[in-house]
Amino acid sequence: MSGHHNETFITKYIFSQDHKMIAKQFLITGMIMAILGMLMSAVFRVQLANPGESSILYNLLPGGWVNELGALSPDKYLALVTMHGTILVFWVLTAGLSGTFANFLIPLQIGARDMASGFLNMLSYWFFFIATVILVWSIYVEGGPASGGWTIYPPLSALPQAIPGSGTGMTLWLISITLFVVGSLLGGLNYIVTILNLRTKGMSMQRLPLTVWALLVTAILGVLSFPVLLSCGLLLVFDRSFGTSFYLSDIVVNGEVLHHLGGSPILFEHLFWFLGHPEVYIILLPALGIISEVISVNARKPIFGYKAMVASILVIGFLSFIVWGHHMFMTGMNPFLGSVFTFTTLLIAIPSAVKVFNYLATLWRANIRFTPAMLFAIAGVSAFITGGLTGLILGDSALDINVHDTYFVVGHFHIVMGLSAIYGMLAGVYHWFPKMYGKMMNKNLGYVHFWGTFICAYGVFFPMHFLGLAGLPRRYYENTAFPMFDGLTDINSIITFFALSGAVVQVIFLFNFIYSIFKGTKTVQNPWKSNTLEWTTPIERIHGNWPGDLPSVHRWAYDYSKPGAEEDFILQTVPLKEGEKEEH
Amino acid sequence: MNLIQNRALKQLLWIGIGAIVMFFAGLTSAYIVRRAEGNWVDFILPDWFLVSTITIIISSILLVFTSKKIKRDESVFQLIFLVFILGLLFAFFQINGWKVLTNQGVFLTGEGSNVAGSFLYVITLSHLVHLVGGLVALFITAIKAKRNRYNKDDYLGLELTIIYWHFLGLLWIYIYVFLKYF
Amino acid sequence: MTNILIALVVLLAIVTLVQLTRVSELLGELKKQDVNEVTDEDNKTQGFLMLIIGMGFLVFVIWQMIEWNHLLLPEAASVHGQEIDVLMRFSMTLILVVFFIVTPMLFYFSYRYRGNKQNTAYFLVHNNKLEFIWTIIPTIVLTGVIIFGLKTWDKAMNVDTSDSQEIEVFVKQFQWLARFPGEDNILGKSNFQLITPTNVLGIDEEDLNAEDDKIVREVHLVVNEPVVLKFRSQDVIHSAFLPHFRVQMNCVPGLSTQFAFTPTKTTAQMKKEEGEDFEYVLLCNKICGAAHYNMQMRFVVETQEEYDLWLAKQKTISDKLLTQK
Repeated sequence: MSGHHNETFITKYIFSQDHKMIAKQFLITGMIMAILGMLMSAVFRVQLANPGESSILYNLLPGGWVNELGALSPDKYLALVTMHGTILVFWVLTAGLSGTFANFLIPLQIGARDMASGFLNMLSYWFFFIATVILVWSIYVEGGPASGGWTIYPPLSALPQAIPGSGTGMTLWLISITLFVVGSLLGGLNYIVTILNLRTKGMSMQRLPLTVWALLVTAILGVLSFPVLLSCGLLLVFDRSFGTSFYLSDIVVNGEVLHHLGGSPILFEHLFWFLGHPEVYIILLPALGIISEVISVNARKPIFGYKAMVASILVIGFLSFIVWGHHMFMTGMNPFLGSVFTFTTLLIAIPSAVKVFNYLATLWRANIRFTPAMLFAIAGVSAFITGGLTGLILGDSALDINVHDTYFVVGHFHIVMGLSAIYGMLAGVYHWFPKMYGKMMNKNLGYVHFWGTFICAYGVFFPMHFLGLAGLPRRYYENTAFPMFDGLTDINSIITFFALSGAVVQVIFLFNFIYSIFKGTKTVQNPWKSNTLEWTTPIERIHGNWPGDLPSVHRWAYDYSKPGAEEDFILQTVPLKEGEKEEH
Repeated sequence: MNLIQNRALKQLLWIGIGAIVMFFAGLTSAYIVRRAEGNWVDFILPDWFLVSTITIIISSILLVFTSKKIKRDESVFQLIFLVFILGLLFAFFQINGWKVLTNQGVFLTGEGSNVAGSFLYVITLSHLVHLVGGLVALFITAIKAKRNRYNKDDYLGLELTIIYWHFLGLLWIYIYVFLKYF
Repeated sequence: MTNILIALVVLLAIVTLVQLTRVSELLGELKKQDVNEVTDEDNKTQGFLMLIIGMGFLVFVIWQMIEWNHLLLPEAASVHGQEIDVLMRFSMTLILVVFFIVTPMLFYFSYRYRGNKQNTAYFLVHNNKLEFIWTIIPTIVLTGVIIFGLKTWDKAMNVDTSDSQEIEVFVKQFQWLARFPGEDNILGKSNFQLITPTNVLGIDEEDLNAEDDKIVREVHLVVNEPVVLKFRSQDVIHSAFLPHFRVQMNCVPGLSTQFAFTPTKTTAQMKKEEGEDFEYVLLCNKICGAAHYNMQMRFVVETQEEYDLWLAKQKTISDKLLTQK
């Protein structure tokens, strides 16, 4: 469906069916939500460093969230923690990461004019947009937004009497997430069908860049796991609004004996985590796909072990469905079941290790060009190593007994998601910015952003492991109630210092991003001298991507520094020379 | 509509169907897990649900004829419209089934309810909600058929509707058998 | 007023940044250089930074380990806890060894292979032997970890509780309570529908077994005697976390859960080792509402004699009922 049709402002920028525009819609919305989510974390970090005191940052909060002394109220602390988690896991790392890069890269890297259905794609963004509006609105309703943790376990999330946020705020949260999931599914359907059907001539599955493989498996994970979250949420809606007892039983709250009988909160946990675990791989796999691409291009070397990398993506995708119980070791489940989940969870370490070693081998004897994107990609590998290793502790049920729900967990998941996945996302933004906007981002600002972020981020999250091993639980408004935690105040202050500093450093990135869109230096055709197809499209993006015929592909994506070639890269569209063998 | 587009749109539908299957898999797994914990009331499914099952099977058979007819370039409007009516009847029979259940003391919620009843209502209601989507699709294809928009070389919209409707029928048979024997 | 000043400062900072960036780009144009091209100089600088800051990160990790080691929980004060500590030491050592080998490699390679125009990368596509090695070695190591872990888990979870002292731990927003079964060693029946302000645990007062039960606000245990804690929650999911004993178990309304363990160190002993202020404590470890951070119950481990003295002083349910009448 190439070619030209009349575009109005509305069809070009608002209800666009062009995958590149939709990608940018996801990116901008994701970035705005990231700012909101990070501001929330700045606020609650200030509370943790200076418990019970007032702060100028609290002026950002809706009225009623602080008490007469200016201190943040405890249930609103939990509201902030809940919304921070929800926004970052779903809005930033799922929609902002997959929504942006799947939409942008898939048609370009496989040589297609657009997604299989531009209409469904457009719908996927607008469902996401409405979900966003509803979620932000929920912050301001009476009782506040959902406050039971982003994991919203009932009965806490089902009973407004137990915490105010479980009233209207939680209802809006459920509506918002339903719309979000529908939007994600619409997107995921498109990604799968487009990759399977619309690859250009010569683009076999073995010639696909790793980014596309990662996005394909991610989309499949989403289609299989997000609907279960919907069924989980549907039963919660019935318990909350229609008095059923799917998850609720034996409850007396605020002096009132409730009628619910026979329900089990553990049923909720099973259904929730059946999505919840694949969800973190839905977040991680695209980031690793981007990291693979960025490292290879900037190392001027093929990604080492392409087949092994594809296999590890597939294995991680498959295993991610059978490990969910490791979030539930302490629920009183049958110990045998716990053993099974320990076994499957520790297995996932194997393909993860394979990926890390392949990245190291790619860097070995490379000729590294340090673009800001490359710096973030390498940092992403470091975070994957660090965070992945602590996963071995948490995945071991016996060890989980003493670290479950402590800061050890908070450290672990922030390092794998908040560092590794975000670094992958930032690497993607820096790397594909010229393709998205036709301009270059400022390199030196990028360097400053990177080093500031790298130092502050490890400064925030590494110390958390010690807090956890000292027994400090997560989601605690303050630690002063327990003398055993008195010695930890210094660590908390250090974490808050790095958190606030890190937040300020991101301003440099935001400035660079916005400035460069309007005033950045114009890019050249192929600024990174990359092999993949997106760099063969015109700098000024057009509908249908290529002005003439679609390109034909003659080789895989990783012929960098191939012996016998004129330059240290060979576009995928270049036919094999006489006697040249194709690599895989 | 070229062949690749056709194939892609059909695959979009199939994968969407896969997603819906996972939704019902979540609900039926919850049912199985909860049932194993006891305090579960077994009851007999009213006959209305057997009637609705037969109705939806008939409607699928009619759609098979519809498929054959359009491939012979014959008019399909009446058949599609008939299936639409059968779809409405299906919904009517479901609602009657719920009424009988309520009279028997099986409630969704409230005094005297049991989670077995709650599951039954939630699962059958979810199916009905998805069926409404099918009814909308049938209505639209019926109108297009009346306007002779389909011919033997181009009937993708009709084909997609037929696939979806067959899926709804199969899904209902699965739910019916599941609820009857589990 | 302050808000306006802050906004002005922010605006000024933005304008300054814009101008600085414009200036640097214009200068680049004058020099006929692309400011945004990554030069060999850049690679050298960034490569060095990778080495220095990367190693700095490792130094930071070591510093934390040394500086904060004393803050970590003391050695486990229970039988199964000691097994867990052995597994933890083993696992931590393993991951630290891997971390301190692989991370420096990453940063060193980044430095060592920093690029310049004269170099060419080595076109290495794959090596099946290497893939096999670094798949099989983690597999073997992890098999060992799994077996060790499952053995420890089994020891913690599958405990013979036939001789254990049963104690009910009851939790609600935002308080812990405990109930001892008394002479008959049987806890009286309870039902959430019986909960009232005077019958906080919802005990069936008709049940004869309940008469000698004792409701307490702190739990005393006899050292080296096995106990099984039986958990019940009234409202939302809470989690009973006794970090010093390596005990944790969710308390779920509608379900009964339990954890069996044997304490090995008296409170008096811990006070000698960790300081006079030491107390064993039960914390809530699952988000449960506003005061989630402030729910605690004191646990005391003592000798049999001290325990007997303490228990004798606690009122039974029938005592309490009598005094109410």
